[in-house]
Amino acid sequence: MNAWRTFQTGRWTEEIDVRDFINRNFTPYSGDGSFLRGMTARTRSAAERVKKLLIAENEKGGVLDVDTERISSLLAYAPGYIQKGEDLILGLQTDAPLKRAVNPFAGYRNAVQSCEAYGYTINPEITTKFEYRTTHNTGVFRVYTQTMRKARHAGILTGLPDAYARGRIIGDYRRVALYGMDRLIEQKKADKAAVGERDFDMSAETIQLLEDLAKQLEFMEQLKEMAAGYGCDISRPAENTYEAIQWLYFGYLGAIKEQNGAANSIGRISAFIDIYAERDLAEGTLTEEGVQELIDDLVLKLRLVRHLRTPEYNDLFAGDPVWVTCSLAGVSTDGRSMVTKTCFRFLQTLYNLGPSAEPNLTVLWAQSLPQGFKDFCAQVSIDTDSIQYENDDVMRGMYGDDYAIACCVSAMKVGKQMQYFGARCNLAKVLLMALNGGKDEKFGEQIAPAGKVFDEKPLVYEEVLEAYKKYASWMANLYVKTMNIIHYMHDKYAYERLMMSLHDTDVERLMAFGISGMSVLADSLSAIKYAKVTPVKDERGIITDFVTEGDFPKFGNDDDRVDDIAKWVVEYFYQELCKTKAYRGARHTLSILTITSNVMYGKKTGSTPDGRKEGEPFAPGANPMHGRDAEGALASLNSVAKLDYRCCQDGISNTFSVTPETLGRTNGDRVRTLTTMLDGYFAQDAHHLNVNVLNRQKLIDAMNDPTLYPSLTIRVSGYAVNFHKLTREKQEEVISRTFHEKL
Amino acid sequence: MKADLHSFESLAALDGEGVRYAVFFTGCPLRCVCCHNPDTWHPSGREYESGELARKLRRYRPYFRNGGGVTFSGGEPLLHAAYINEVAALLRDDGIGYALDTSGALPLTDAVRQAVDGADMVLLDVKYPNAKQYAAYTKGDFDTFCRFADYLSETRKRVWYRTVIIPGVNDSEEALDGYLSLLARWNRPEKYELLAFHTMGFYKYEKLGIRNPLCDTPPLDAARLRELQAYLDRRLALSR
Repeated sequence: MNAWRTFQTGRWTEEIDVRDFINRNFTPYSGDGSFLRGMTARTRSAAERVKKLLIAENEKGGVLDVDTERISSLLAYAPGYIQKGEDLILGLQTDAPLKRAVNPFAGYRNAVQSCEAYGYTINPEITTKFEYRTTHNTGVFRVYTQTMRKARHAGILTGLPDAYARGRIIGDYRRVALYGMDRLIEQKKADKAAVGERDFDMSAETIQLLEDLAKQLEFMEQLKEMAAGYGCDISRPAENTYEAIQWLYFGYLGAIKEQNGAANSIGRISAFIDIYAERDLAEGTLTEEGVQELIDDLVLKLRLVRHLRTPEYNDLFAGDPVWVTCSLAGVSTDGRSMVTKTCFRFLQTLYNLGPSAEPNLTVLWAQSLPQGFKDFCAQVSIDTDSIQYENDDVMRGMYGDDYAIACCVSAMKVGKQMQYFGARCNLAKVLLMALNGGKDEKFGEQIAPAGKVFDEKPLVYEEVLEAYKKYASWMANLYVKTMNIIHYMHDKYAYERLMMSLHDTDVERLMAFGISGMSVLADSLSAIKYAKVTPVKDERGIITDFVTEGDFPKFGNDDDRVDDIAKWVVEYFYQELCKTKAYRGARHTLSILTITSNVMYGKKTGSTPDGRKEGEPFAPGANPMHGRDAEGALASLNSVAKLDYRCCQDGISNTFSVTPETLGRTNGDRVRTLTTMLDGYFAQDAHHLNVNVLNRQKLIDAMNDPTLYPSLTIRVSGYAVNFHKLTREKQEEVISRTFHEKL
Repeated sequence: MKADLHSFESLAALDGEGVRYAVFFTGCPLRCVCCHNPDTWHPSGREYESGELARKLRRYRPYFRNGGGVTFSGGEPLLHAAYINEVAALLRDDGIGYALDTSGALPLTDAVRQAVDGADMVLLDVKYPNAKQYAAYTKGDFDTFCRFADYLSETRKRVWYRTVIIPGVNDSEEALDGYLSLLARWNRPEKYELLAFHTMGFYKYEKLGIRNPLCDTPPLDAARLRELQAYLDRRLALSR
């Protein structure tokens, strides 16, 4: 059968161009969710099996099983099934569901520690093999400078992907389905031949690319073999909805067998799948129940994605997230809504299969999206707290209409851009370092070049600002240099061969920096400017505390006096980052995102002039500090909306909790309020919002009695977690966050 | 002109149609026994120029779709009617309208009439349905309230009535009948919301050192409130 029958042809038929295919063939849907179907008997049975597995995993302390006998790769394991004969979408990471693989390429020690943390030991034969192999981690530490080590140790630069795999790269898994592997391999071979001819000097860059392409080709062949193990021939294009989903899932599965990066997102697949579904529905070979069943089964598989992590890693990224971020909706560059029935179907999985943290369903919100879809999203948020919203009207201008979100808030053009992920820099500590003349306030170590230590006299804003600028600028340079080392080594020792094979050969690279402590810093500078702040030194002569007298404007109240400081902080740091050249021609981007590590950053940071005491958590992402947003939810949103996405193109994360009663007395009122709120927030060019609609008391009850709400899912910071997978400390921090509440 | 403001609530979805920004004024002549906000009785010392307040409110225009807008509340907002009229004039060109959340306990001065005329809607607190209870539980004058409600009816204002249901005071069907017979003389409201008496404002009495006359009254049960609301809605539908 001709796989492309009935499809409108165009540039995509001549070259690899999935965007062109989608734009010529997708069917916008402007209705509501009334067409949706529930679970089939088969789905119910499969979901029941998965539920039991998840309970067993939880009972075993979070890890059900580990395969310590082999190293993860595409062909390392025999085909795995939840239940052979019952699975519709085939393929597991190892030979059994929730059995985790050992993947030591980013760091061997890390892999060993991950196993040991859960009582497993890696087969000694593997150890021997890795004695002769350099990992990414070893490479990085061979070249780190003394200053980089110090900055890392002090926690000014944190969460750097120097001991674990970087992630945040989205392969264009749709290519596998649309073209079949043979066509993709043929194209890569042609690319490689052309690259080999085009450089007169055969520079190091060209040699590197040629080697990358050779690695890609090797893994493209392996992917075919992996699929063949499940009885599927993906050398040819997919011919129907089932194959389209299965083929693209194989692409994704191969990628996560090879790589255990922090976030391996699946991209923007709903309109793509919908094209096949529309055709099968029209040809009468599939029913609505059938389409939903396939989506349900894909989502069920995505809910089983696991990687083996160390306890320290879980401190940074709590709740065992994998960020199978799946971007829905958006608008095409010619103005058509990209809401398809399949966008609804993905959201429907939260009703069919129950609320869940994964896949990380992300709605690309635009003012012009159909009201039926907006209302449905709001209803899903109210019912499940499982989805997040990002502003398509802002991103479309920069990324077009075929970008997807990796991880929490990182946009990239699918198959055309990749990202060098760079964790974040603690800006609150940079301020303390500036006041202490380059010394760290916790360890007392001289990290940055020595400068003036401020006296125990009321701080003068202009003087503080000058010192801060000097140190922020130094910090930005060190940060870029550190990232350059990390990604050079990652490319060298842990290159994402399969994921990158599903990208264009001449890919655009983004280097994504991040900041934490933004609202602490803004409030601290505001306190220095508008109140009286006097430093207090300890016996080492280091400023470790402050006496803050008088009131001052606080970020989160739509008050320009402090919001302008917040904007400046972000703009200044971004501008300073751009002054240092990034590895492999990458373009600098910046995010304000902390995942759940705002707790850990707080622990590593001394008292700050805003009145926050040593060790107290930061607010997550770009959120105002807990309890300081005194004028209610919209004032808080307005403050965050002022931060300029143009200098934060890797995302501005805002996590928002509101009680259902505050949104309205009836369900209809609540839906209306939520959609109006999202429209109003995004109309101001805000970037992102995690929405939780729940009561603080519900979380307290859940914390004290985990059996009350076993599947309680909440959005924390660009992703969702099962509340019970958080440590008590993180649960308490989430509970202490602002809940917008009106009595 | 300046006014003393108690606080702001930027997401006030319960006080009128759509998404609303609530401005809470200080000062109130009533001293209702069931008051949840005794902290609004006296000036806070935070004064805002009308232009300053209008600038603040304009920032929320993106949220004022679907009938939303500003809600002037309090305290008793109509104690500041002239100020409200000034702010409203500043917001008129931006297409931002307002609702009044009032107990209607003030005489109909020109400024009050203007504020009512300019409002998109009025949330009218119907405290008690007769002069006796009105005098017993508030310091207001029942006739003044009735004249205010008469005016709303005459000018065909959009009105939502609201009554706080207090256990042991008006938490019965018979009590509601009393309210309904009073309401019969006015136009049918768009909505009549019953609000539950709660104890979450009790701490404010303690903090302010004011005697709380209902300190021994329990909060109204949510299920009972639903029952009474259903009864009221049924009766309202039947009576017209």
